Amino acid sequence: MRKILATTAIAAVALMALSGCSTRTETAGGDGAAAGFAEDSVIGVALPSKTSENWVLAGGLFEDGLKEAGYKGDVQYAGASTTVKDQQDQISAMVTNGAKVIIIGAADGGQLATQVQSARDAGAIVIAYDRLILNTEAVDYYVAYDNFKVGELQGQALLDGLAAKKAEGPYNIELFSGSSDDANAPVFFGGAMSVLQPKIDDGTLVVASDQTDIKQTATAGWKAENAQSRMDALLTSTYSDKTLDGVLSPNDTLARAIITSVKAAGKDIPVVTGQDSEVESVKSIMAGEQYSTINKDTRVLVDKAIEMVKVLQKGDTPEVNDTESYDNGKIVVPAYLLPPVIVTKDNAAKAYANDPTLAPLTE
Amino acid sequence: MSEDTSTRKSALGDLKRIFGSGSSNLRQFGILFSLIAIILLFQYLTDGLTLSSGNLINLVSQYSYILILAIGMVMVIIAGHIDLSVGSVAAFVGIVVATAMRDWNFPWPLAILLGLFVGALIGAWQGAWVAYVGVPAFIVTLAGMLIFRGGNQVIGNANTVPVPDGFTIIGSGYLPEVGPNTGYNNLTLLLGLIIVLAVIYAEWRARRVQSIMGSTPAPLWVSIVKVVLLCAVIVYASILFAGGRVGTSFPVSGIILGVLVLFYAFVTRNTIFGRHVYAVGGNKLAAELSGVKSRRVNFLVMMNMSILSALAGMIFVARSVASGPQDGLSWELDAIAAVFIGGAAVSGGIGTVVGSIIGGLVMAVLNNGLQLLGVGSDWVQIIKGMVLLVAVGVDVWNKSQGRPSIIGLLTRKKKTAEFPSEPPMVVPDSGTPDTARPQSTLPN
Repeated sequence: MRKILATTAIAAVALMALSGCSTRTETAGGDGAAAGFAEDSVIGVALPSKTSENWVLAGGLFEDGLKEAGYKGDVQYAGASTTVKDQQDQISAMVTNGAKVIIIGAADGGQLATQVQSARDAGAIVIAYDRLILNTEAVDYYVAYDNFKVGELQGQALLDGLAAKKAEGPYNIELFSGSSDDANAPVFFGGAMSVLQPKIDDGTLVVASDQTDIKQTATAGWKAENAQSRMDALLTSTYSDKTLDGVLSPNDTLARAIITSVKAAGKDIPVVTGQDSEVESVKSIMAGEQYSTINKDTRVLVDKAIEMVKVLQKGDTPEVNDTESYDNGKIVVPAYLLPPVIVTKDNAAKAYANDPTLAPLTE
Repeated sequence: MSEDTSTRKSALGDLKRIFGSGSSNLRQFGILFSLIAIILLFQYLTDGLTLSSGNLINLVSQYSYILILAIGMVMVIIAGHIDLSVGSVAAFVGIVVATAMRDWNFPWPLAILLGLFVGALIGAWQGAWVAYVGVPAFIVTLAGMLIFRGGNQVIGNANTVPVPDGFTIIGSGYLPEVGPNTGYNNLTLLLGLIIVLAVIYAEWRARRVQSIMGSTPAPLWVSIVKVVLLCAVIVYASILFAGGRVGTSFPVSGIILGVLVLFYAFVTRNTIFGRHVYAVGGNKLAAELSGVKSRRVNFLVMMNMSILSALAGMIFVARSVASGPQDGLSWELDAIAAVFIGGAAVSGGIGTVVGSIIGGLVMAVLNNGLQLLGVGSDWVQIIKGMVLLVAVGVDVWNKSQGRPSIIGLLTRKKKTAEFPSEPPMVVPDSGTPDTARPQSTLPN
């Protein structure tokens, strides 16, 4: 009995090995993308966990926008404690569900290569939303706000604010940057320094503490408490006999922490920049404390992504405006970058006119 | 009249023997039955997507590492311990391996060995604290959870470290395409064929052993029905796995899992070490008085768990093509849930490798099916939590009622009636006890 079984097995192996080498070949057309797809196709949207207001808003907008356009939207959030694995599994499920386009706001852009590759193999188009997906060839488009531009605007706002405050330099400033594990943090800082560095070199601006390296200015985990304690230390060590005129802050949370620290030390509030248009910061700007913030309207970004889906559905190629900057380690991803908008007390009412939460604050 | 009923009863008894005999097998059948019910439910709800080629392949590669953890975890739990550090150990080994390949140019096969070695070292460290110092495993591994999570972030600088393509085969590789163009992946079909032959051979051998030992084997038709059913499932599955998108087939990680399941099922059931694990977990003092070296058993069980965690971590890194700071978060909970759904006891001494795998598959199919339906991760967590609670609750309640399971409840009346005509026999059968505790001679 055993011999018979063994012989059968060996015979089967031999048969398969010997009877030719022509292996299974591709039958379905992999380039279905070029020809467009049905108007009621499944469009997958994979977002990170619901821990930030922005992502919750984006999810709702995607759901409504895709429905309105006639697609079957499949919008999924990853769980808070297992974001990476959830997102991998959700993208695989979208591929199984036959999604034609998958829009991904990556939890960790470096850990999705296998899933986006299988999406491409199944004929789906992958759009990286807000965060780039790294180390894979299978990303078709990237849509986001221009983060370098954000930095430039912050730098310019700081200069404008200082000029408005005091006609003549030199101005004493301090620099803050974001968390070192966030790929966007050095981009913001680089953008701002491209504006500020020439002014530092010609003596208009003075970083009194001499802390200009991004390693010194970094704020671990984007945490308010870390920015506040660094500001406390700077005030004690450097500004006991000097005036602090301005602070470059990468976002609103840190800006408010810096202002809190300055107030606690009993000093005048300097010109402080920000980003994200958080409710508390908009209030602060209207009250004349924080100087500026950046408006990166999630509505516009979601609309842009859905517009790309519509173009792809017709079989056309979506418009991009940057084909050089976003190298993900394997390819340069074609990107569409939206311009961020700087907001100060002067233009707040206009900038937030379409925002139901922020508009009332500016009246 | 009476003769008629007795034939009916014994036919029912024979029917049950399709699933093996003994209460343990019946309990496992209860979980298996739930798994089949869940698969059919989702197959219906997702319009056939659940049992489609692509989805089955996803399912295996998404959950193979959790199931590998469940294998180690069931042994830890049988021995009366728990291991909370598995996710952190997996993340730590993952980052070590990824960094070794990137910064020191380790070739990937060597890196895998390095990973297993690091896992063994960590296991020895934790095992020594548990077995020789006597700190409860809960505390030791809680400490390990913190230590190795921190270690991951120290080594990786809280960044994501990519791994080379060769390494990814263990996580996202498939059986290659060879031989003639049959429209299917030939190696996967061959694998299915080999398993079918193995099943037939195992059944034939079991019957022969039973007849040599003087036991009455189940009627021939029982064996035939059993083998035909099993083979049908295997053939169907291998056709599905072989018929996926070109370039995909049965995942390499699934093969690793399969080999480990066979190996550890054998170790726990048929080796001295395996029985010692049950003995220590069931009654440590009695085991020690019988000459079992309980410290050595505890040490090896904890060490084994960390080696399997290392393997699971590497498979995940290979699948993600990078090692990140979030790897392995809450894996310990998935593995522990799988083991308890699979019928293990919190007090130790009870549990099986195969049961835990089925328990893990219940969670996997549930998770996957809900994702296919587009249910948000918030609700998926709530549903999974409820399933865990109900599954273990039913099991505990049944035990306290002196019943093995719902299936046992259904067949209990028949059995009591049968009892006088079927005295307990002390003969080997195809079922193996899954506990060191004396089996009751009373029906359940």
